[in-house]
Amino acid sequence: METRRSALHDLLQQHNPRWSAMNGMLAPVSMDDRRPTIALADASCMHRMGVKGSQAEVWLHSQGIEMLPGINAWVRTPEGTLVARLGRTEFFLEDSPSATTTTRLRSTLRAASGLTPVIRQDCAIVLSGERTNELLTQTCSVNFAAYSDADRFAILTSMVGVSVLVIWELHTGQRGYRIWCDPSFAAFLWETLLGIAQELGGGAVGLGALIPEVVR
Amino acid sequence: MSSRLPPVLGEWIDRSQSLTIRFDGQRYAGHPGDVVSSALWAAGVRVLGRSFKYHRPRGILSLANHDVNTLMTDDAHINLRGDVSPLAEGMDLRAVNTAGGARADRRRLFDKLSAFMPVGFYYKAFHRPKALAHFWERFFRRMAGLGEINVDSPRLYTPKRYDFRDLLVIGAGPSGLAAGLCAAHSGASVLIVEENAQAGGSLGYARGGSDTNHERLEELLAQAKQLPHLEIRTGTCAVGYYADHWIALVEAQRMTTLRARAVIVSTGVMDQPAVFRNNDAPGVMFASAAQRLIYRYAVKPMHRAVVLTANSEGYEAALDLDRHGIGVGAVLDLRPEGESTDLAQRVTSANIRVLKGYGVSEAIARNDRLTGVRIFSVDGQARLPIPNSEVLSCDGLLMSVGFAPAAALLYQAGARMSYSEITHQFYPRELPKGVFAAGRVNGVFDLPYRLEDGKRAAQEAVRYLGFSTQPNPIVPPQRRWPTHPYPIFAHPDGKNFVDFDEDLQLKDFANAAQEGFDNIELMKRYSTVGMGPSQGKHSNMNAIRILANLRGETVDKVGTTTSRPFYHPVALAHLSGRGFHPVRRTPLHSLHAELGAAWMPAGNWQRPEYYARSDQDKNECVRGEVRAVRESLGLIDVGTLGKMDLYGPAAGEFLERVYAGRCANLKVGMTRYGVMLDESGVIIDDGVMARLSDQHFYFTTTTTGSATVYRELTRWNTLWRMDCGIVNLTGAFSAMNLAGPKARDLLAKLTDLDLSHASFPYLGVREAQVADVPCRLLRVGFVGELGYEIHTPAEHAHHLWTALMAAGNALGIRPFGVEAQRLLRLEKGHIIIGQDTDGLTTPLEARMEWAIKMDKPFFVGQRSLRIVAPRQRKQVLVGFTLDKSHSGAVPKECHLIIRGNDIAGRVTSIAFSETLGCHIGLAFIIPELAEEGTAFAIRADAGKMVSAVVAKAPFYDPSAQRQRDY
Repeated sequence: METRRSALHDLLQQHNPRWSAMNGMLAPVSMDDRRPTIALADASCMHRMGVKGSQAEVWLHSQGIEMLPGINAWVRTPEGTLVARLGRTEFFLEDSPSATTTTRLRSTLRAASGLTPVIRQDCAIVLSGERTNELLTQTCSVNFAAYSDADRFAILTSMVGVSVLVIWELHTGQRGYRIWCDPSFAAFLWETLLGIAQELGGGAVGLGALIPEVVR
Repeated sequence: MSSRLPPVLGEWIDRSQSLTIRFDGQRYAGHPGDVVSSALWAAGVRVLGRSFKYHRPRGILSLANHDVNTLMTDDAHINLRGDVSPLAEGMDLRAVNTAGGARADRRRLFDKLSAFMPVGFYYKAFHRPKALAHFWERFFRRMAGLGEINVDSPRLYTPKRYDFRDLLVIGAGPSGLAAGLCAAHSGASVLIVEENAQAGGSLGYARGGSDTNHERLEELLAQAKQLPHLEIRTGTCAVGYYADHWIALVEAQRMTTLRARAVIVSTGVMDQPAVFRNNDAPGVMFASAAQRLIYRYAVKPMHRAVVLTANSEGYEAALDLDRHGIGVGAVLDLRPEGESTDLAQRVTSANIRVLKGYGVSEAIARNDRLTGVRIFSVDGQARLPIPNSEVLSCDGLLMSVGFAPAAALLYQAGARMSYSEITHQFYPRELPKGVFAAGRVNGVFDLPYRLEDGKRAAQEAVRYLGFSTQPNPIVPPQRRWPTHPYPIFAHPDGKNFVDFDEDLQLKDFANAAQEGFDNIELMKRYSTVGMGPSQGKHSNMNAIRILANLRGETVDKVGTTTSRPFYHPVALAHLSGRGFHPVRRTPLHSLHAELGAAWMPAGNWQRPEYYARSDQDKNECVRGEVRAVRESLGLIDVGTLGKMDLYGPAAGEFLERVYAGRCANLKVGMTRYGVMLDESGVIIDDGVMARLSDQHFYFTTTTTGSATVYRELTRWNTLWRMDCGIVNLTGAFSAMNLAGPKARDLLAKLTDLDLSHASFPYLGVREAQVADVPCRLLRVGFVGELGYEIHTPAEHAHHLWTALMAAGNALGIRPFGVEAQRLLRLEKGHIIIGQDTDGLTTPLEARMEWAIKMDKPFFVGQRSLRIVAPRQRKQVLVGFTLDKSHSGAVPKECHLIIRGNDIAGRVTSIAFSETLGCHIGLAFIIPELAEEGTAFAIRADAGKMVSAVVAKAPFYDPSAQRQRDY
């Protein structure tokens, strides 16, 4: 029985997705074969965690996370876990579908002097497609087009009035943006992005269309 | 008869297609590419609108997007400017601010009554006689304003977007195009925005009788097409300049907020009118307006013209008219010395009479059409009117007597402008970093120099941007100054208009100054000069000159008014557009919807006010929900509460400082109510703190206070540098309150946790699995029954709620909303911060002395409380009841308590308690009336006085047995 539920679950239901259990959550892995000009997918099913404080970096090293990003940047560990540094002393980690790092780290993380666990319940959205930049220019004041695909910045900004964390990487050969927000804003953010995306020929897709790993 | 010219090289219209529109009920034809004004003018319509105050007939003045006397509506869109609105098939337009249309406006009678409407009459009318103030108010409300809002008009779709460029060039005239081309060659990304439908500016229409300028324009545009980094965006107006080079760009259907690293302002100049009698008659227009009519729209502006000028541009316009078969009766040159360039010879060669040192004293109109102008020699000291002065017959008068820089965006960017007594124009003296000016706005007028000035600005900009290391070029010299210092000729019979927006005459300025409003800002507000829809584009400069003349000072000394965004009229649809107003939803939102939730906003959250039932009204639903909690079981979503984790060795000490009560001695596994104050001792928030371990606290805040509290605590933690970390879990955690006598029975079905009173007492906190998901359970009693506030990560909330409801079905569980919770807590006398307190309420006034520990070494607000504690309270919070037999008007929140003729307090909460059988409430009241049992009166709706009695709160279960020991 899946006890986790995405903040977007009910909104995705109307797209008749094929649900698949992932990490205790029903994830919309596929919808139809159409690849719109802008594709939005819900990636909330991934496990994630946060840790902050002056000792956070030391603790992550002690847990075998050797390569840590610089300020407001991100890396992926060899296992595929995304590690983003938010500011100087806060870290956000999210597992790829095959990684289990955050599960392991959460079980060992205990608050201590200079070490504060952060429970992350973010809604995670993946955004990709040829007209994605048009969507971003209507919703966010950051000029994402100015960055290269290879840039590894973790950008804390506001999108349609919602505080978000944004990174980008290649998804199926195309730049895809990963967007995380507080789950209470998820419905508003999703509906607003999807509404604009649909005007630009975009739409919702299953997560597997952007991260094929989830359907393997 | 159509005034359409034969095809003109470079015309904007598409003659292969025809469009039909209606204006004031009459049908007219035009072409794609026309604006409304050009199509109507081509059809012989000369009265396109009426003036604001006197309802005088008005026609084309500038045709440069500033003709605010030609406002029209098609009902769906109000206040369309005729000179900028593209013609569209089927348009059904009528002039605004008229009764019966532009031509037959019945309000034109006001022109005859102008003597009774002097400057400032709006203000004066309200003063004396006082008895007529309401009459005037109604009159002004009916008469004032332009256009009427049609509430049934369809919503316009106007998205917003951001855009980014290395360089923004505002204005695609010759200097702007030259600048953009030059900059784009450097590799910088360049955007040129142009408010008109096509690029080119004056290159397209100020031709001086030849097509050389047009050919030059074609060359520039061809070059622009070859540059991949250069975009020219026409139909786009830069309307506001904000910090850090953020510029608002408005297009027909979209607003763009553009961030540029550097900006070149090449916005050109605005023609300034000459002031003489009847200078507003249809047919009197700027020379550039006539040229635009010819070269953009192939429309004959008039059949016979007179040109009033003080510069080369007027001579060029005369040549353009002559070239297209329009008779030019004379060129009146205000300058005694006349034109010094070869233009003078060319005009003379065209057999056009040139009168040096001549002006116009009066325009003569008949049947709302110009028929002639009375001229006079401006040499000497002649006073108008001059008897038997010559009248030149014409149906069009072109004015080209000077310019004002279109410098509003420069002002907004922070540029400092100075007035030159030589050129009689303001020019940029000091520009902010990254801002450059080019062309006529920069005081450069001759075309070759304008092109060079554009390149110069571009070179400076690309150097600033780091695309070039070349030294900044030398600025070319300015060769001439085309602006007349005082083109204002007072005619004693009046109607010498200075401000066409507001119908302000020359004498109005003299009167305003005489009444003491002789400062430019004061005069602006008293006379309303520059406050009309064009914001003084054609009047501010002359107003400054007039005031300088009246005060005997220089223009520079008089100064200018402040230029603020927006520079141009912007439709409200563009501003409202797609609004981003985030709404928060708890993870249980869809479940509430399925249960029939009636929604209410709580801060930016959506919360169920109550759960609607088809057979019950709202009150019955709420009372049913209350009964369920009191008698069996209720479940409410309280996930909107602020929720924070606090970790670290100093966590207890930190809370000790930010809460007024004691915190550090809170035992692990227990909770405590806390109240938070600001530094002035005012209550700002409250909540429950739970100690989960020695170094781990979890605490709640009010729904609307979470972000503020988190920010404030983070600030304190930064200042105090304590060894603890705060995490805002408001959205990450869900919370629901299971309350009622059967709460324990239900919970026992879903958890292995020992729920016995001994093991999990009142005010305890435990972490446990409930329905197989991790939870934090707080045994608190906000609603006054046995209750468990169950907190769980948001992703588990749906599962948990569903499990609780399913398991509670047999126990009569019922979801309850905010309205029921408010009543339940009121029965317990629990306050709601922000409702039962305000921005001045201290715990002493709220009678919460029990929640503050003044013997602590420190807490935020303690010092202020020490100061105010000895003072007499002005008001205190008390409970009250209405008589059980009360019927009739029921007071509402914020209704006043009255003693004698004085206000003695106000109601903060009130509701009918079915449990208690009467209305109960909380109120702030003066201490003299605060004693239990004291009767007082509340003034309810319609002034009805309602008796109430101070009562001890809690009203229900005062010993708290039900929540404590059940």
